[in-house]
Amino acid sequence: MSRGKLFKRALSIALTGAMALSVFTGCGGSDSSAGKNGELNIFVWTEYVPDSVIKKFEKETGIKVNVSTYSSNEDMLSKVKSESAGAYDIVQPSDYMVEQMISQNMLEKLDFDKLPNFSNIGDSYKNPDYDPGNVYSVPYLGGAGAIVVNTKKIDKDIKSYADLFDSSLEGKLVVLDDFRAVIGMTNKALGYDFNETDKDKLKKTEEKLKQLKKNVVLYDSDSPKSAIISGDCSAGMIWSAEVAMAMDENPDVEVVYPEEGPYLFFDNWCITKDSPNYDNAIKFINFMMDPDNMVLVLKEFPYLCANTKAIEEMGEEYSSNPAKNPPEDVIKKGSYVKNLDSDILDKYSEMWTKLKK
Amino acid sequence: MKKKRSKHEFRANTLPAMVTVGPMVLLLIFLVVAPLIFVAVMSFCQTDQYYNVVYKFTAENYSKLISPDYLKIYGQSILIALLTTIVCIIIGYPFAYIIARCKSKKKKLLYMLVIVPFWTNSLIRIYGWRTFLGSNGWLNSVLQNLHIIKEPVDFLYKTGTTVLGMVYCLIPFMILPLYTAIEKLDGSLLEASSDLGAKPYKTFLEVIIPLTSGGIFSGSIMVFIPCLGYFFVSNILGGGNTDMIGNLIERQFKSANNWPLGAALSIILIVVTLILVKIYQKLGGDMEDLGV
Repeated sequence: MSRGKLFKRALSIALTGAMALSVFTGCGGSDSSAGKNGELNIFVWTEYVPDSVIKKFEKETGIKVNVSTYSSNEDMLSKVKSESAGAYDIVQPSDYMVEQMISQNMLEKLDFDKLPNFSNIGDSYKNPDYDPGNVYSVPYLGGAGAIVVNTKKIDKDIKSYADLFDSSLEGKLVVLDDFRAVIGMTNKALGYDFNETDKDKLKKTEEKLKQLKKNVVLYDSDSPKSAIISGDCSAGMIWSAEVAMAMDENPDVEVVYPEEGPYLFFDNWCITKDSPNYDNAIKFINFMMDPDNMVLVLKEFPYLCANTKAIEEMGEEYSSNPAKNPPEDVIKKGSYVKNLDSDILDKYSEMWTKLKK
Repeated sequence: MKKKRSKHEFRANTLPAMVTVGPMVLLLIFLVVAPLIFVAVMSFCQTDQYYNVVYKFTAENYSKLISPDYLKIYGQSILIALLTTIVCIIIGYPFAYIIARCKSKKKKLLYMLVIVPFWTNSLIRIYGWRTFLGSNGWLNSVLQNLHIIKEPVDFLYKTGTTVLGMVYCLIPFMILPLYTAIEKLDGSLLEASSDLGAKPYKTFLEVIIPLTSGGIFSGSIMVFIPCLGYFFVSNILGGGNTDMIGNLIERQFKSANNWPLGAALSIILIVVTLILVKIYQKLGGDMEDLGV
């Protein structure tokens, strides 16, 4: 091939490239402007917001809602970061993640004049440590990392996280597929802080995890109740609401809140920075704080609820069930995940790899 | 005169090439080459305190990969992939042989039996196995009703279950190249072998196997390599107890949120794959058999 020909060919390829690029940028441009106060894009946990409630919102307001789901906070964070502003209008971060997103300037302040239903939220759930004054977030649902036991299959009396490390439970446990929850639980079993940062203590935790490795057969955060209901696992540490659902299916299943105080989480409604649908997003959040709508949610997903009006409407069956509505003293003793320095977090990550290798 | 010719040449050669090959080249550059370069660059990057990627050179990600924990995971991934490949050959070979030697009507039916399960999402099929093998599952209740076992057996969440799932997902990739190789087998060679007094097993070992070795190699490559990356099988059927390279990569991009480390792991996986393909070529394998 002569030099001229080569040049021409290279030029032609480059030209076609430029043409193709202009097509791509054309798409991007139209996409980002179309969202303005139109369709609402919400990014929520799996098995957390019932379709029926979303449909009700669409019917009442005429605003179309597109739902995407995630199963870990970190997953959500990396997706929101990698998309352009407005790809997701509403997100549902847990406690520590709210703090992280605030410090990375990823959230929009909430306009409480447009959120009259905020008055339905219980006072004990307002003004949390991770977002003082509820500037960026309003609480939705929460729960505990509760112990689940199938009393027909387990003779041992399980009262604490430490009991889950007993060698008689070898090959019987299901735990959440979440490194902060599982390592935090191990810290607590040793009497340390849930978010322990002392390196010598973490060495002991690493030792302790070796016993847990023998006991756990399944790591599952999406639907850990399935393994309990099917009988493949007979005890474990899973979301309290998942225990409640397993109890409905199998009367032998019981919920136990650990003596050490449980792992707690609370998920929140937030609006992403520069969301083009701010007004609709606020409408949606206000709608979700309406007691009638929260009742619909709780009937399907019986988590710990911040909406005291909705709890009143749910009646005895919900409020007296310890798996659905964890007692107040349990909540007082519990601990939340805290943000750690990256060298400590790397240590946690490393321990997790050791556990799963 | 000269100018005219070059114009003609442009219309005759360059323009068609630009129109036909150009889009393909661009597609490859945008969707394969550029992302790969991006992954390679990212594997040398650092992260800040929030695990955002910072474009600053470091080789630390690669030095982290030599830790004994990771080495153990590579080892068991390769072991699981190897076991899967061997089981696929043992089951796939006779099956492919039967398909290739059948009459055309039956052949189509058998061929479809291999292809049809593919039309269902593999994730759903793997969840199906979980229901089937569970302690209250079908297999346990059938065995208990037949009084073969008294207590339910724990089939799930073991390394063997992972291998079973992998074999189930990947066996068509073994059967199809084997079928092509056996189909091409010249019948007169087999006749010659038996005419010359070779017993059937000898014909099989010394004539059939060498003649179909290309199919065995390409099938093995096509089973072995995806096996290293099928993290969902070891998550669902293995219970997440025995990590594979795929699980490690998935975790770095999701829950651990350390993209540069995940990128470095991906690069290692690509290097392992390339080495395997090179070995395959050295052993006399044909790249066309791989369907690439």
